[in-house]
Amino acid sequence: MDAMQIANSIPMWVACGIPVCLIIFQSLLFMSKARQASKDIGLSDDTVKKAIRASAITSIGPSLVILSGMLSLLVTVGGPVGWMRLSLIGSVMFEGIAAGIGTQQVGVTLGADPMTPTALAMAVWTMVLCSIGWVIFATFSASRMEKIQHKITGGSTKRMGIISGAAIVACFSSFVASHLIKANADVGFYFSKNAVAAILGALFMFIMMKISAKHKKLSEWNLTIAMVAAMILTAILPIGA
Amino acid sequence: MNKEQKTEYFENTYMPKMHRYGKLIGVIGVLVSFIPPIVLAVVFKAIPDWGKLPAAFLTGAAAFGFLWIMEPIGYFNILGPVGTYMAFLSGNISNMRVPCSSMAQVSAGVEPGTEEGSLIATIGMAVSVLINVTILTIGVILGTVVLSKLPAGVVGALNYLLPALFGALLMQFGIKDIKYAIGMLLYCCVLYVLIYLGVFSWLPSAANWLPIITAVFGGIAFKLIVDSKKDKAAAAAEKKDE
Repeated sequence: MDAMQIANSIPMWVACGIPVCLIIFQSLLFMSKARQASKDIGLSDDTVKKAIRASAITSIGPSLVILSGMLSLLVTVGGPVGWMRLSLIGSVMFEGIAAGIGTQQVGVTLGADPMTPTALAMAVWTMVLCSIGWVIFATFSASRMEKIQHKITGGSTKRMGIISGAAIVACFSSFVASHLIKANADVGFYFSKNAVAAILGALFMFIMMKISAKHKKLSEWNLTIAMVAAMILTAILPIGA
Repeated sequence: MNKEQKTEYFENTYMPKMHRYGKLIGVIGVLVSFIPPIVLAVVFKAIPDWGKLPAAFLTGAAAFGFLWIMEPIGYFNILGPVGTYMAFLSGNISNMRVPCSSMAQVSAGVEPGTEEGSLIATIGMAVSVLINVTILTIGVILGTVVLSKLPAGVVGALNYLLPALFGALLMQFGIKDIKYAIGMLLYCCVLYVLIYLGVFSWLPSAANWLPIITAVFGGIAFKLIVDSKKDKAAAAAEKKDE
């Protein structure tokens, strides 16, 4: 059998379906436990619904980016593996690189050479072996890190809030900076389209926050509107490289 | 429930349960991710070159191994323990889990770091996983034939969606303390310039973790020090009044 026929075969759909089902199961389980706990500590149903709606709306844009990333995986490692890898552990950036590292070892350049069964197996094994480190470390360090955090805050909710607030701004600052600062070997530092998009995203968000301060209903759409508007304008405007 | 009861319920009933589920599902997740490669081997005799697989693993580990440890540490203060279990098993953390759980908190009007904030973040994250899987499933069923018909302009424009998202999120959360946000952004930009100039080329995959780790922990330390100074000043002022 040809490697791509194997990659897109029914047994592979079943094999990849199991991990996908696990991730769905985890989400449903954690959501139901968190909803129960919300009820127990007296969060209103309305508050919970607002959170669900906001997350659902926010999810759509990034999901499309992941979907477009899956396109390249469909061609290289087949539908089932691409579908599973981007549902479980994986990230758009990681999977392509890991698959390429695997096939390179047996002389197949991903996307250029035809896939062989051995190269396919190399790709899948490498993707799996190189990604489980995240889950293992995260899973076994979470309660330890919680204890350390507890020691630092002394159980104070105010300090917990300060920590999360400081961390989230720091985190998004580093994401934005990674898009603002771009360089390559030919021209050195340059003003990229990504930088334009990040700046416009911030600008449109500022405008949306002003508008939604008056029209409360709009606020859960703020992020989606700002990011789509910034994306379109970045694509149209002749600024940035 | 009053505040003490809430904390007591959260710490003694909810969290122990979530830790148990989180660890168990994490371990199962690692095991089931081996099913596809095993099926490849057993059903189709598509077996990797065992002599060359270690080299592939080591190449991957050299590129990503540092992130296995740095990312969980870096994201912990945002995700919390329950979020950590979910986010690292589902992946796509920066581009999806963090934005969705924090927007859920904003929309619900709960503060991060509180019990309510933690529950809402978990719900938001679960929703984002379900939507991600749904959209990917629809995409994979439509298949390459339909997806490759997407106009090149649309696919190209999607490259700008994530930077726009991050810019918008920084505005959302940074505006409350604009000086801190600008400071953080400048710090990270300087760090990226230095990384591109090769100052940190002795560190493994520095560009992927150095800015976020140092910004997160530096930022936390800074804010905690400022807060404790404020507390001391307030206490001193109170004493004066007496």
